[in-house]
Amino acid sequence: MTRWLSTLTLNQKLAVAAILLGAVALAARPYAGGQVTLDARELALAVSREADHVEAPELAAWIVESRADYRLIDLRSAAEYDGYHIPGAVNIPLAGLMDAGLRRQEKLVLYSDGGIHSVQAWLLLEAQGFAGVYMLKGGLEEWKDQVLFPVMADNPTSDQRATDERRRVLSTFFGGQPRSASAMAGGAAGAVGAPAGLPAAPKVVPPPSAAGGAKPPVKKKKEGC
Amino acid sequence: MAMTAPFFQYGMFGDNVSLVVAFCIGIGFGFFLERAGFGSARKLVSQFYLNDLAVFKVMFTAIVTAMLGVTYLAWIGWLDLSLVYLVPTYLGPQIVGGLILGVGFVVGGYCPGTSVAATATGRVDGLVYALGIFAGMFTFAELFPWLKGFYLSGAGEAQTIPQVFGLPYGVVVFAVVLMAVGGFYGASLLEKRFGAGSAE
Repeated sequence: MTRWLSTLTLNQKLAVAAILLGAVALAARPYAGGQVTLDARELALAVSREADHVEAPELAAWIVESRADYRLIDLRSAAEYDGYHIPGAVNIPLAGLMDAGLRRQEKLVLYSDGGIHSVQAWLLLEAQGFAGVYMLKGGLEEWKDQVLFPVMADNPTSDQRATDERRRVLSTFFGGQPRSASAMAGGAAGAVGAPAGLPAAPKVVPPPSAAGGAKPPVKKKKEGC
Repeated sequence: MAMTAPFFQYGMFGDNVSLVVAFCIGIGFGFFLERAGFGSARKLVSQFYLNDLAVFKVMFTAIVTAMLGVTYLAWIGWLDLSLVYLVPTYLGPQIVGGLILGVGFVVGGYCPGTSVAATATGRVDGLVYALGIFAGMFTFAELFPWLKGFYLSGAGEAQTIPQVFGLPYGVVVFAVVLMAVGGFYGASLLEKRFGAGSAE
């Protein structure tokens, strides 16, 4: 064997090596199926860095800007989705997540009512090796509190005034209504935290300025090579 | 060990650093093209006269090396193949584009990458070729409204050979290796027959 090898030129040896590697690769399964190992430490680090979630005002800004480099996924039931959903969201109930044909390169933003279902879906997707999965922090509850019905300070300082103004614009853009802090505190207990009702239809998407009809940001931006 | 590649997709570096990485890879690519002799139009075109098939051998070696590397890295779990960007398949436009590139290769003596390498070493024919590329790009961009229909015709989804033919991935890998080795053997025969007898 060694004598036979020594008669070969370098090129021939390389060819033999390539054939051997190719033959072994006959058994290769390079597209990993469902068996991705989770690095618990890495996961915990990502969580503690808060790199895994998007705040409600941030998401609202993305929608206003018509950003298209992510997909917003509503994990609740179809009925709840029909009742209200964040503009641009697609409805994929938790049980159907694995069959929804999501692509692993895509940036996904998940939300549910509170936070629990998104966390569970986030873990499932992470375990499948999805690279860019984010949760809407606090889910729809936070969306309501911070974007649709933000609480405005009664005597805003000059710093607060600017942010309040932005929140007011966002709130009306999404069909909500800002609340004042005094009404919250002094009002009847029943009224606290109970906004008049969610905006009936999420069709209030198109910004008044861009009447051309901004498309909901569900399309993935094409990647160049 | 967890999947760690592709580095960009796993957020190991951002857009700016990726440009630096691309620059370094490009410099390396050009350097080795030049070192392989591909900065010379004579060397490149002689593959069409079958007397020196170095281009064919170098390119096919690169393909086999990269293919085996990617296969094994993905197999042991260091590389997530599903995150690797694939160019979408537009069969008709890509065949026409390939033919145009091939004709340009025979006529001009370079392909795009080698023309840049030749320009960098100060060859005038390489420079003219590179200017031709830019003129072609400009013309194409200006004509794009008329070409758009054809340009975007075809499926447009990224397709791979294992998917299209329903073959296991490993079988395709092995077949390509055999094709390469057979091709190298055939190339050496052709070089003996037509070439100046430059033994490798």
